[in-house]
Amino acid sequence: MGKSKQIGNHNSDKHKNIARKWKTKRRTKDLDQIHSDMKPETATKLLHQEVDYDVTGCAQHYCLHCARYFVDMRSLKEHFKTKIHKKQLRLLREEPYTQAEAERAAGMGSYVAPKKIDVKTQPTEEEMD
Amino acid sequence: MRIEKCYFCSGPVYPGHGNMFVRNDCKVFRFCKSKCHKNFKKKRNPRKTRWTKAFRKAAGKELTVDNALEFEKRRNIPLKYQRELWNKTVEAMKKVEVIKQKRQARFIINRLKKGKQLDKEEAIISVKKNIHLIKAPHAGKAKQMEEKMVQKLQEDVDMVEEDI
Repeated sequence: MGKSKQIGNHNSDKHKNIARKWKTKRRTKDLDQIHSDMKPETATKLLHQEVDYDVTGCAQHYCLHCARYFVDMRSLKEHFKTKIHKKQLRLLREEPYTQAEAERAAGMGSYVAPKKIDVKTQPTEEEMD
Repeated sequence: MRIEKCYFCSGPVYPGHGNMFVRNDCKVFRFCKSKCHKNFKKKRNPRKTRWTKAFRKAAGKELTVDNALEFEKRRNIPLKYQRELWNKTVEAMKKVEVIKQKRQARFIINRLKKGKQLDKEEAIISVKKNIHLIKAPHAGKAKQMEEKMVQKLQEDVDMVEEDI
């Protein structure tokens, strides 16, 4: 699992300062948090948020799996076609890692294989109508 | 006091060592050293990072399913001190540890046996393929031809003798 030297495809300095990127104040959602977001109750709440002028696109266009807000429907749909989104879906298909698994690996109990979960991009038809 | 396990590498976290991260949803993550903490910040997956215990178990490098692994558990019910029970537990812990070590070692030896067998098979295949390096394809052919000629001549001579 080597670390690739390439950081992004574009010439912006935003991603180059690694120390700033990994600060806790800039921390993005972890995979296990997204997994709990994917439960139906929270998912509907996140996909139908109230208008908030402080958030990108007034919090109306949210990608559940990438935990990202988009400006409009078009850019959200464009995002669904990207590599980043598809990779995120692939990562989410495996059950998230937990402290319990760490303890089992340390010799406190037998190994339990992580489950596979079917994850698909959120449907957009309702919002189209 | 408890010796916790590291979230990333599953190593022991002794009191006063390592550091702890509390996420904004109150979930606690303990790390045994800064290496583990940094890797967590990079959002690396312990199952895919080769030096963690989680990887070694997931990839089948170590003993994963065994009864010897079921003794050490997080027990949240406090027990009243009894001298006899305490002594017995300590004795049992020593025994379990010995058995566990033995089984883990045996598992690894069995796992490595497969590689040795594959090495042998590969060696045989490579010898078969590259036999021309050991013995030239036409080596000894001239001698064979000569022997054949001599035999034929002998036969011819015999035939002539019979005719006479």
